[in-house]
Amino acid sequence: MKAKRSETPSCDARELSGSHSTVTALSDAELIAAVLAGDIDSFSGLVRRYQDTCTRFAVRMLGSRVDADDALQSAFMRAFRGLRSCKDPAHFGGWLYQIVVNECRTYASRQRRRDLRFPPAADAIERAVAPGSEEEVERDVGGHIERALSMLPTEQREAFLLKHVEELTYDEMAAMTGVSVPALKMRVKRACDGLRDLLEGVYNG
Amino acid sequence: MDCGIFSKGSTMVESFDETPSAEDAAFVARVAAHLRAPETAHQSFEKRLMDKVRFEAASLYPLASSAGSTWWRKEWVIRLSPRVGIAIAAGISAIIALSAVAVGSRISASSQPSRTAQATPARDTVQLVRFVFVDSGASSVALVGDFNEWTRGATELKRSGAPGVWSVSVALTPGRHEYAFIVNGSRWVADPLAVKSSDDFDTESSVIRVGTAGKRET
Repeated sequence: MKAKRSETPSCDARELSGSHSTVTALSDAELIAAVLAGDIDSFSGLVRRYQDTCTRFAVRMLGSRVDADDALQSAFMRAFRGLRSCKDPAHFGGWLYQIVVNECRTYASRQRRRDLRFPPAADAIERAVAPGSEEEVERDVGGHIERALSMLPTEQREAFLLKHVEELTYDEMAAMTGVSVPALKMRVKRACDGLRDLLEGVYNG
Repeated sequence: MDCGIFSKGSTMVESFDETPSAEDAAFVARVAAHLRAPETAHQSFEKRLMDKVRFEAASLYPLASSAGSTWWRKEWVIRLSPRVGIAIAAGISAIIALSAVAVGSRISASSQPSRTAQATPARDTVQLVRFVFVDSGASSVALVGDFNEWTRGATELKRSGAPGVWSVSVALTPGRHEYAFIVNGSRWVADPLAVKSSDDFDTESSVIRVGTAGKRET
């Protein structure tokens, strides 16, 4: 049973790397202080710094650039509205990331509901994961991986991405998601098993 | 892989050997390497977001729109005669005294036990809720809702003796939940006896509110 997490999280100690050098010389804390002092445009510095990193997670989590864009617009707005509650502005990245993870979870649930109501054609699902000829497989390994990922249950997909793509520790994942470390390990393991089954014939190693 | 299941209190916990084999590690590394490829936000992402941010900014961070020139931020000097000053001070004291009496009476009223008050639910408390669906023509009935992430097949109803009566019991956390039934594998049916809710796709679902005492508050 999963409790719905809709509130802005408290500021988290995890650092999310952003491309500081190409965005602005100001630190996250300085940009936040400027926004809270009334310089609203300083928020765009934070957006530029983190939008791409968050986009990767959202696209992988939701399997759709459109849904990812929607989820991130919503997540950044929540961050803006709750900026005063970010108690540790130096770790804004981790705090934002927590909001993004929660928002993607909400959107994933909406996607599942939409697909249940308007299910894609069964043969389309089969085509999506079934390996084709050797040449086709070689050409579209990435597509097969993304489709297999999208077929995992939301909680397993989230755990796999946080562990193996975002490379968080289990303790960081537990702090971010509110799920226990043993449960997260089990989710990651099941995700790996699920991907192996779904990608059989694409990867034989 | 050493997998096992043991019971810890009322929670089922599964344990396993978490050290992956070299083969598993290589597989995960190949999959993760693809998924770690960078993604770029849409070029209009920042502009669209900042438009919304500026729209909301006035209510959230009013300093931005006031630009430091509003009347309440200026210094004002008001000169009063001593007699007027004493009269104003007496008036303020009277207002404060009356407010204190009013607040005191409210506090004493609210400290009385309330018949309708409920304790704040513990986050991990669950209540068993029984869902019943009646359809003599159904060959299968499933329950989908936010509590099972709208997963088809996660919660199947079973025949309950009487013809056409299907039921299942589900552990729900206190609060509001949305759900629907799926009949014969494809027909979406909102609970005819429950409060209705409509989602983004104009699909009608049902609402159940679970209280701390397990009451169904539809």
